[in-house]
Amino acid sequence: MPSGGLLFQSIILGLLLGGLYALLAAGLTLYFGIMRVVMIAHSAFLILAAYLAWWTNDRLGIDPLLSLVVTVPLFFGAGVLLQRGLLSRLRPATLTMMSVLITFAIALMIEGLLGYAFTGTQRRIQLGYGTASFELFGARVAVVKLIAFGLAAVSLAALYTLMKRTQFGWALRATIQHRDAARLVGIDTERTAGFGFGLGLATAAVGGTALSLDTTIYPSLHWHWIGPLMAIIVVGGLGSVPGAAAAALLLGLAQSLLQIPMGATWAQTVFYVALFATLAVRPQGFFGGRLAQRF
Amino acid sequence: MRNGSKSLLSYGLPALVLVVAIALFPSLAPNPYVLSSGVIVLNWAVLATAWNFVGGFTGYISLGHGALAGLGGYATGLLIVKAGLPSFVALAVAALLVAALAVPIGFAALRVRGASFVIVSIALVLILLLVFQSWSSVTGGSRGLVVPRPFPGMLRPDHHRAFFFLYGGLLLLALGTWWLLDRSRFGMGLKAVREDEDKAEALGTPTFAYKLTVFVVSAAFTALAGGLYALWFGDLDPVFQFSVLTGSYIVLMALLGGVRNLYGPVLGAIIVGVALEYFKVEFGNTPLHLVTTGLLLGLVVMFMPDGVIPSLTALVKRLRNREDSSIREVTAADLAEQRREREAAKS
Repeated sequence: MPSGGLLFQSIILGLLLGGLYALLAAGLTLYFGIMRVVMIAHSAFLILAAYLAWWTNDRLGIDPLLSLVVTVPLFFGAGVLLQRGLLSRLRPATLTMMSVLITFAIALMIEGLLGYAFTGTQRRIQLGYGTASFELFGARVAVVKLIAFGLAAVSLAALYTLMKRTQFGWALRATIQHRDAARLVGIDTERTAGFGFGLGLATAAVGGTALSLDTTIYPSLHWHWIGPLMAIIVVGGLGSVPGAAAAALLLGLAQSLLQIPMGATWAQTVFYVALFATLAVRPQGFFGGRLAQRF
Repeated sequence: MRNGSKSLLSYGLPALVLVVAIALFPSLAPNPYVLSSGVIVLNWAVLATAWNFVGGFTGYISLGHGALAGLGGYATGLLIVKAGLPSFVALAVAALLVAALAVPIGFAALRVRGASFVIVSIALVLILLLVFQSWSSVTGGSRGLVVPRPFPGMLRPDHHRAFFFLYGGLLLLALGTWWLLDRSRFGMGLKAVREDEDKAEALGTPTFAYKLTVFVVSAAFTALAGGLYALWFGDLDPVFQFSVLTGSYIVLMALLGGVRNLYGPVLGAIIVGVALEYFKVEFGNTPLHLVTTGLLLGLVVMFMPDGVIPSLTALVKRLRNREDSSIREVTAADLAEQRREREAAKS
């Protein structure tokens, strides 16, 4: 039986981790809602952002968080281009399948180019506050983990406000709910979908930077992430943002708690167990999500 | 009558060419290296054809077939090493085991469609990689698993030649099975799933049972190919056996050649397989092969989603400038496209 302190520590870490997962999965949910697209390359873009943050710090000597000023607009633009240039050109009848392959191809290209540019060597950002931590009711919380969680919380809140309070958010939600009806009331759904895609990829920029603060990165790392993220959105119900957030927190917590008895590697399997259990019991996902089974 | 001669031309002639090529290649190969590359290409051809049982008939795209091949390889190796079975008995038992395992996997994966199915198939690869790497007391983990050769006294070139013929036989068996399914009522039901699953179900096709059955058949052939690879290569490593890349190569080959076509995956395997071997020689192990694979996959998806064979036949037809009056297979996508064009012309 683990001690109470260790348990509490794991819960804190699990919640911090779950918050980050929620941010990473939010983008995937957006793409699926907008285009019915499962974007395999999302985690490759995360690693790309992490590399750019590392590069900013290593070569230019500035704080990796500052790389966001460049990466967020850059990724937004890439998302718009990706949607307008590739995904919207696929035949509607085979869109879902072919989009998976196209984004898979992009993931391979990013991995290959990262390997070519930075070699396969494992990289890690050296920060002045990298090892700093503080006590919270007996649990030790690393500052970098807290910063990552803070980034996730701020960007998810911003995303929520954008979706609920702005005209663009309304248009985007209308496009997600019923594209034809949205077009009828005068929304330029093509443009909105492009911007929505850009928004999703912008979350990858933030998520990747948050990730880079605390992890060792290498080009093929994205395969390590795609499984858990996919599991989160299936468990949460494809296309449901609150579902993905709830599943992310839950699975992050479960992973962190299972690490005590099982060790880090086996605790990873909780995502896949959850994925297969969800499909066997409730294929449409546990939180909302009425679309999943059809796509 | 005309139809009969046509089917002979489109099925029989390539089959003859294939058999002759398989029979002659080992004696024509200038050195053992080329022969071993031939074995690898045939391995890809079997994998792509096995994949086409699911991808071609039902339209479900699995990126996880590499995992089934890896399972076949590990099951074969472990049965020889741990249970002491003779090599080819182990191979057959391994294929049956993987087929049995494919039932629960298919049961979970085939309950969802399209994108979710692809997610599950990728997850399958990742979870198996995790398990086989961590469970090193049984699988050897990252140190690898050494599989004893089935023909101990044989010299290397003869060994390659023997496996070339074994793979050739397996390929012909897989192609024959696909061809039989293609003309059966069962195959018709599977194609109905591909075109419109809801309508097929409404018309009384037991879609789920059909999908599951064909998934199991596909898994068995994939496992046989993986098991043969284990016997031939003699050394297994989880990183290569359970790689998402293997699955994506298979999909690339099948799509490039054409998934609705019996010989499409074989053609794709020859093109991509030879290219892969060539890149390996030219670029060594730089990560650039990932970029070329990605680029190629992207180009095929964007410009030739039906594959080389249909694109070429369409081109030939256009050059001959003659409309074929017989009933041909039209996909739901083609029909939708035609309808849209008609409506556009009307308005």
